Order: sequence, then C-alpha cells, then structure tokens
Amino acid sequence: MSGLFGTLGVMARSLQTQQQAIATTGHNISNANNPAYARQRVAIQASLPTPSPIGMMGTGVEATAVVQIRNYLVDGQVQAETSALGYWEAQQQALEYAQASLGQSLNRTSAAGGADQPGLAAGLTELFNAFQSLSTNPTSTAERQVLLMKAANLATQFNQITQRLDGLWGTLNSTVSAGVTDANRLITDVAGLNEQIAALEMRTGGVANDLRDLRQQKVEELAKFTKIDTAQQPNGAVNVTIGGVLMVSDQHVLDTLDGYDAGGGQILLRAANAGTALPATSGSLAATIEVRDGTLATLSTQISELASRLITTVNQIHTTGFSLTGTTGAAFFTGTDSRTIGINSALLDDPARIQASGTSGAVGDNQVALALAQLAQQSHASLGNQTFSQRYHQSVATLGQALATANGRLADEQVVHDMLARQRASISGVSVEEEMTNLTTYQRAFEASARVMTVVDGLLETLINIKR
Amino acid sequence: MRVTANMFPDSLVRQLNRLNARQSRLQVEAATGQRIQFPEDNPSAMRRVLDLQAESQTLAQYRTNISRLTDQTAATYSSVRAVRNVSDRAGEIATLADGTRSAQELNIYATEVSQLIQQAVQLMNSQSQGDYLFSGTKSDTPPFALTLDANGNVASVTYQGNTSVTAAEIAANVKLSVQALGANTTGTGSRGVITDSRAGADFFQHLINLQNNLLAGDTTAIADTTRGQLAADEQNLITHIARLGSLTARLEAGAAVALDRTTSLEKLISREADADLSETLVRLSETQTAYKAALQSGATILNLSLLDYLR
Repeated sequence: MSGLFGTLGVMARSLQTQQQAIATTGHNISNANNPAYARQRVAIQASLPTPSPIGMMGTGVEATAVVQIRNYLVDGQVQAETSALGYWEAQQQALEYAQASLGQSLNRTSAAGGADQPGLAAGLTELFNAFQSLSTNPTSTAERQVLLMKAANLATQFNQITQRLDGLWGTLNSTVSAGVTDANRLITDVAGLNEQIAALEMRTGGVANDLRDLRQQKVEELAKFTKIDTAQQPNGAVNVTIGGVLMVSDQHVLDTLDGYDAGGGQILLRAANAGTALPATSGSLAATIEVRDGTLATLSTQISELASRLITTVNQIHTTGFSLTGTTGAAFFTGTDSRTIGINSALLDDPARIQASGTSGAVGDNQVALALAQLAQQSHASLGNQTFSQRYHQSVATLGQALATANGRLADEQVVHDMLARQRASISGVSVEEEMTNLTTYQRAFEASARVMTVVDGLLETLINIKR
Repeated sequence: MRVTANMFPDSLVRQLNRLNARQSRLQVEAATGQRIQFPEDNPSAMRRVLDLQAESQTLAQYRTNISRLTDQTAATYSSVRAVRNVSDRAGEIATLADGTRSAQELNIYATEVSQLIQQAVQLMNSQSQGDYLFSGTKSDTPPFALTLDANGNVASVTYQGNTSVTAAEIAANVKLSVQALGANTTGTGSRGVITDSRAGADFFQHLINLQNNLLAGDTTAIADTTRGQLAADEQNLITHIARLGSLTARLEAGAAVALDRTTSLEKLISREADADLSETLVRLSETQTAYKAALQSGATILNLSLLDYLR
C-alpha cells in the first residue's frame, strides 16, 4: 500500500508517535521534582516496510513502548546504603539524647571550682571539697550547711540524670514499637503494589513504570528501618526477605515484624508468624535497640553504681562518727542507688548532727570529716580501681566516644549515600533542559509531518483538478 | 556526568548545610573560646580536661585549707607570743625577788604574779571562730580553769582539754596539724604549750609556786628552784614559737606549690580545651567566604534556564 494515500497514512502515524513522545515529555517534566520518579522515553522504531517493485518501501515510524530509564544495580546499592544510613542516623539521634540527658559539658569561662560549673563532675568534686572544708573547721555550722547543700545538689543531680536516662529508655522503646508499625505498613504496601503491577503488566503487556517507581520508594523506606533482601520475580513482583524470613511473596504478606517484650520491658524484634527472633543488623530499628541495650544501659548502670558506692562508702564512715550533740550511728545518705539517693532528713533539720568527729565528746575532732574528704582520692575496686570522679569521667568519655563514632560514621555514610543518589539522579533523573530540547525536536517533527500532509493534500488536489 | 534538574539544587542545599554547620561550630568556638564543649567533640580530651579540672578544684580546696591553717597558726602564734611576754616578766620578777627585797615589795610582786597568771590563762583560753585554740579536740571547752583562794590569789589552774589534735590535708595525702595543746603530760603526741612532761614545763604551776614563795618571802626557794623551772618553761615557749614559725613557712611553701600546680594545670586544660582564636577566626572568615560564594553562584545558576531562550 503506497501512493499518496499511503503517504497520508504514514504521516498520520508519525503525528501520533510525535504526540505520544510529547505526552511522555510532559509526564517527565511534571515529575521533575518527584524523587521516586525515573524518567521515561517512548521507544520508537521504523514500522514494517512493504515490498514494492523497487524494493522495500518504508512505512514511517511507530511507538513500541514507554520505557523507564533505571539502573537496578544502583537501586540495589541505594537500598543497602539506606539501611546503613538509617542505622547511623538513629544511633546519632539516640546518643545525642543520651548526651543531653547526662548534661555534662565544659564551661571554661567560669572560674575553676566555681559553683556554676555544669554537670555531675563538679558536683562530685564539690561534695568532697565541702568535706575538706568541714575537716578544717569541724564545729562550724556554716561549713556544715554548705556541705549539706552541696550533698543535696549532688543527690538531686543523680536523681535527675537517672530520671532523664530512664525517660530516654522509654522513648527509645516506643520508637522501636512505632518503627515496627511503620515497617509493617510498608510491607503491606509492597505486597499490594506487587499485585497491581503483576495484574497490570499481564493485562497490557507493558511495564507499569510509575507503580514500579512507587514500589521502589516503599522498599527503600522499608530499608531505612531494617536491612532487607529483595528478589525480582518474573511476573514483575518483588519478594522481600528480612533476616532470612520471607515477608512478601508476590502479592502475599507471609509474615510481619513483631515487637515483643523480652522480659525486662525492652521491645525486641521477631517474625510474627514464624516466631523466630530477628537479630536486626542494620537500619534504624537495630540502631535504636543497640543504643538502648548497649550504651544507654551501660551508662545508667555506671551512674547507678557510682551513686550506690558513694552511698555505702560515705555512710560506712559517717555512721562511726559523733555529732556536735554527741549522737552517733546516723547515715549521711539515704537510698540505695542514683534513683533513690537523698540526704538523711535528720541532718538537714539540724546540721549539728553531721558526725564529723571520731571521738565521743571531742567536738573539735575531725577524723571522720577528714576520712570522708580523703574518699575523693581513693580508688575503689568496684569502680574498676578508679576514684569516684575518674569513674564518672570515664563514663562521660565512653558516651562521647560512642557519639563521636556515630557522628563520623554518619558523615561517611552520608557521603556514600549522596554519591549513589547523584549517580541515580544522573541516570534516572529528569533534566528539564533535555526535556525542553526533546520537546522542540518532537514539535518540529510534528510540524514537518503536518507539512508533508499539506503537500500530499496539495498533490491530491492537483490530481483531482486534472479532470476539470 | 549527566546533570539533571534536581541534582544541582540538591547538592547546593547539601553544600550550604555543610557550610552552615561549619560556620555555626566555628562561631561557637569563637564565642566561647573553647574547642571542646560536649563529650562528642573530643571524648579523650574531654576526659583529660574533666580529670584536670577535678584536680584543679581539689587544689583550690587545698589552698583554702592552707589559708585556714595559716589563720589558725597566726592566732596560736599571737597567743603563745603574748604568753611568752608574761613568762619574760615572771622571769624578771623571779630575778628581782632576791634577799634584798622587803616583805612588802615581795607582796606587791606576788600580786603582780597572780595577775600575770590570770592574764596568761585568759590568753590560753582565746578562741578562733568559736573554738578554743588550746583544748585539743575538746574545742568547746576552755582549756584552763582557774581557782582563786579567799585572798584573791591563784590556788590552782587545771587543764580541761584533751591531748588529741586535728590534722587537715594541705596536699593529697599530706596531713598537717598546726594545733598546739595547752598541756600534755602523756609523753607522746603533740607537745603542750604550758605543761609538757618531756620539756619539764609546767608554767602555771611554776608561776603559782613563784606567787606562793613571794607571799611566804622564801627568796631562797625562788633563787634555787623557781628560776630554773621558769627558765625551762621559757625554753618550752620558745620551742613552740619556733615550731609555729616553721609551720607558717611550710604552709606558705605548700600554698606556693599548690598555686604553681594550679597554673600548670590551667595551661594543660587550656591546651586541651581552648580554641586557638586566631586560627578559629581565620577559618570562620574562610567559611563565610565560601558560604557567600556558594550562595551567589547558586543564585545565578538557579536563575538560568533554557526556558528563557525558547519561544
């Protein structure tokens, strides 16, 4: 079929093809700011030629498919790095909270030993300094009152830090629960999209580009929570495995995540149906669990141990002493750990009852006050052969080290993730300039095709007019 | 590399964020003068600084202790010094009261000695911040109690304190006692100012002896015994004055050592924690320049588009 009418048909197909290309360009430009979107192209090819006496005659162009420009290798890498990024982001966030809860900072503008030094470090030193002051003036009510004030300050600091750390523990626990809920919603979403994609691609024979974009986005969101393994299926579905447990197979949700109470109130992960524990290795859920049960738990224990050791050693010495009024046997601190530490209210009511003297009837004696002051320089086996201050400083440094590591690793991970994101944007991202150029090309082709039609139309008119 | 629509704004935002974070960090450094603020900034340096600061605060406390001990030493010294004046006068009287004096003169001397004893008791009962200086650790009890007889003469002076002294730390595990006891007849421990068995001193008893001998007109006993006893007492007082002098010197040396150590600790802390201000400011202005450049170039590039040229 050739001739002028044939040419008209060829040009009509050309117009249609250019229109499809223009529509796809429009679709690309519309989605230029959609981060999940991969640019699309209309694949065109020359339509089947027809035989003629002079050889094969071209029959113009036809659009064969709308293809998505995506690199699955980069997608896989982004997915893996998203888990790592999520892990370090969650670590950093949780540890920053822990650092804030501890409230230890340096303030060099205040004088050394000044009352405005922040944190427990100054509180500990000030307590022992107050014992020192009392030892130089054991009968002074003023020194006794200062001592009680410093001790009460320290006890309050211990209480507050513990409260904040306990609060953080609770927050991290509920973060895990909330994360599990979000991850399960994403698992259901992926299965639902698998179903839609498989159905659509089966029916139309094409590729459901935009649904695949959406599914990739969901998979990456899921990867942020925990490390996942994905497998492409021949029907277009993606199977999702978490920790060796198949969660999504085609359109079916086989299993979900379950946050269960591991006994001490701490939420851990397992597969809801299979019942197997999921040792989270990457992703924000793993990081939150690790900080909660690792750094934070250690820090809480260390602070608590420090307080209980302080209570027992101070009380042990203080109970042997004699007060200004001759009483003996009273404890200095009450409570057993950092949550409950407080000052014996009898002493607060009457500072004269602080038992600074080592000898009954000798109010000017300072043996007990001096022994208490000297506790500051003593190392204790239960504190790893360190003094109270050193032990606390070590806890601070350990937390700081964990956070510094998280900061460093997060920065590294950010660089890797950014590079991969750039690589993907470079392949799949929409370039407005490119689309505009293409648009112009398609527009010109459309105009040219129309022009050919006008010429053919003119030729046909000429033909018809021959008969007049 | 193919650069697409969102790559440029995305990387611009990232760069601006990075520069902003750096700028804010340097600004905080410049404002506080500190390189380390939180444990995350430099965990090991943070630990060292906390250790050093604790040591520095402890040293400050030792300096406070030393200054209190110095005050106590000064108060003790002035009392002992005044008692020594009493002792000097008593020695003079013991010398003057020889066989050439009339009974009336001796009586007048006896009255003076009686007054001297009372004066010395008063001096020995002096207090510092509400505590009796010479009663050992029974600092709520006056060390000496004086009893007068019917004629207003001194009958006896008894020591009511104990023989324990307090010690305070002037450096880690260095304990020092500056307290002087009123009396110590145990032969061990801190020496007594008035009565001390090792020095053969019993000042008040010897003064009472002098008073009684004067009243009795027994100038021979004064010459033979009392003068010698008073000389031993004087010697004991001089020993105490010397001890207090050397204690003051020791405390001064201790304070100097603590101050030196504080200064060197401050240097160490500064090296760990303080920002090099000139470097910080140079880096801050560098960062600001980069930030400005990024903003300017970004704004120019973002405004350019092929759309401006397509009709």
